[in-house]
Amino acid sequence: MALLELKNVSRHFGGVRAVDGLDLAIEPGQIFGLIGPNGSGKSTTVNLISGLFPLTAGSIVFQNEDLAKLPTHLRLQTGIARTFQNIRLFGQLTVWQNLWVAQNSPADRAKRGFFARWLGGQSGVREEISQLLEFSGLAHKQDELAANLAFGEQRRLELARALATRPTLIMLDEPAAGMNTEEIGQLRERILKIRTQGTTVLLVEHVMELVMGVTDRIAVLNFGQKIAEGTPAEIQADVAVRKAYLGGDA
Amino acid sequence: MDDYTVSVLTNIGLISFIALSAYLLIIAGEMSFGQQGFFGVGAYTAGVATAMYGVPLPIAAVMAMGAGAAAAFLVGLPTLRLRGLYFAMATLAAAEMLRIVFELIHFQREIDGEPIGPDGTQGFRGIRWVFENGVEPEGFLAMVWGLLFAVVALFLFMERSKLGATLRMLGEDPELARMLGVHVERFKLGVAAAAGALAALGGALYAHHNTYIEPRNFDIMLGVHSLAYALIGGLGTAFGPLLGVLIDIGALEGSRVFHGYRMIVFGGLVAVLLIFRPRGLLDERVVHWLKRRLA
Repeated sequence: MALLELKNVSRHFGGVRAVDGLDLAIEPGQIFGLIGPNGSGKSTTVNLISGLFPLTAGSIVFQNEDLAKLPTHLRLQTGIARTFQNIRLFGQLTVWQNLWVAQNSPADRAKRGFFARWLGGQSGVREEISQLLEFSGLAHKQDELAANLAFGEQRRLELARALATRPTLIMLDEPAAGMNTEEIGQLRERILKIRTQGTTVLLVEHVMELVMGVTDRIAVLNFGQKIAEGTPAEIQADVAVRKAYLGGDA
Repeated sequence: MDDYTVSVLTNIGLISFIALSAYLLIIAGEMSFGQQGFFGVGAYTAGVATAMYGVPLPIAAVMAMGAGAAAAFLVGLPTLRLRGLYFAMATLAAAEMLRIVFELIHFQREIDGEPIGPDGTQGFRGIRWVFENGVEPEGFLAMVWGLLFAVVALFLFMERSKLGATLRMLGEDPELARMLGVHVERFKLGVAAAAGALAALGGALYAHHNTYIEPRNFDIMLGVHSLAYALIGGLGTAFGPLLGVLIDIGALEGSRVFHGYRMIVFGGLVAVLLIFRPRGLLDERVVHWLKRRLA
């Protein structure tokens, strides 16, 4: 039984078919790679799953629940979290607060009543946030405004924020963009650790050394359609994929 | 204190309520040009209650807040779907509609042989609860500032809570807030109602300070000023809008030096600050820096 299943998912912007009849199935515990040339529909797919805009056609089923019927603000509760290609943080809030406001999962809601949740201040939630700060190497920056962080730190904070929602599935949209080799190595360690903790990962990425080294399975998109799916080794050998990336008869 | 000082200080306090009301909406990401309408709703509601039906002012003030919240909720239902400039225009239109309603209301009762109550453009005279109950100007001043401090304390408490952080989330990136589980529309409607209640409380006190109100008091200039106070003073803390009011009414209107040139100096100040400090003197960075220094 797949954790996340996309069936015939389409999203058209006017005449542009950003995603066109996409089928995708991600198994629990997988690190699933989604690759493809620029404009092939990878980010649109992630946006559709997180509910940024509605589907044109098709269905997205996550843990037996039809996401298409679920308003965006309720999708977090199903256990889906994400990061963004263009980093989105609350710059006016501190690093610590950025993680605090993300603690909005059903488990967190059950732990605290309405008043404790909204008005209860900041006590009693510190331990988990400390762990996340430790995990992301941001402990020394916890009282800094998020807007003042360096680029790499902002990326790490985004990942930590996604984890603070206690996700079952985490979607990473080009997390290695703009990173150097050392940072990519650290990111790889973190992704593997996330999986060890039982979270499934959907990785959208251009950096092949990361995708090929870390994923269990890869789907390749081109012009909104899936042109190949398989293990990293199968994808590297696939003729259609080479054509899409390099053009011609390569 | 001489009467003039007491009057200026009372005015600073009264206007601070509507400035805080504008501030509350700005930090949640909405620029309302219509808070003067709810200030007016509060003034008329409380005035009618005390002068025509003999309701004590504290109860009348609570009624005014209820009316202000209800009016803001109803205005918010359709307008909060709009973005940015369109929301600003719609709230301005709503406030003008309220002002015209005040011009149309002729609702009077005979009390001690005199007709008392709103008389359209002729205004509403004889809101004398404060004087009839022997409250000295100093006493009223203490009442206004006491309430204001209570409201500011509530703001400071709220800003430390997750509620305050959520307001800032809405102000900065509502789409992201939504993806983090915030019901954006419901939240903003709640904020709008709270801001309406706050403006109405200011209006209720204003009516009883002046004893006379007329629809003109609640025109667009009041709304523009309340926004400007929040934007000058700063959006990082509830003390920001208070600082804005203090600068305008305290330093400009209150001082003899600037008196005649008040609007010129004030307008210039707004323009300069919007260029160099778009989120005011006490903006988020300054407040964050201050908090770390004090901690």
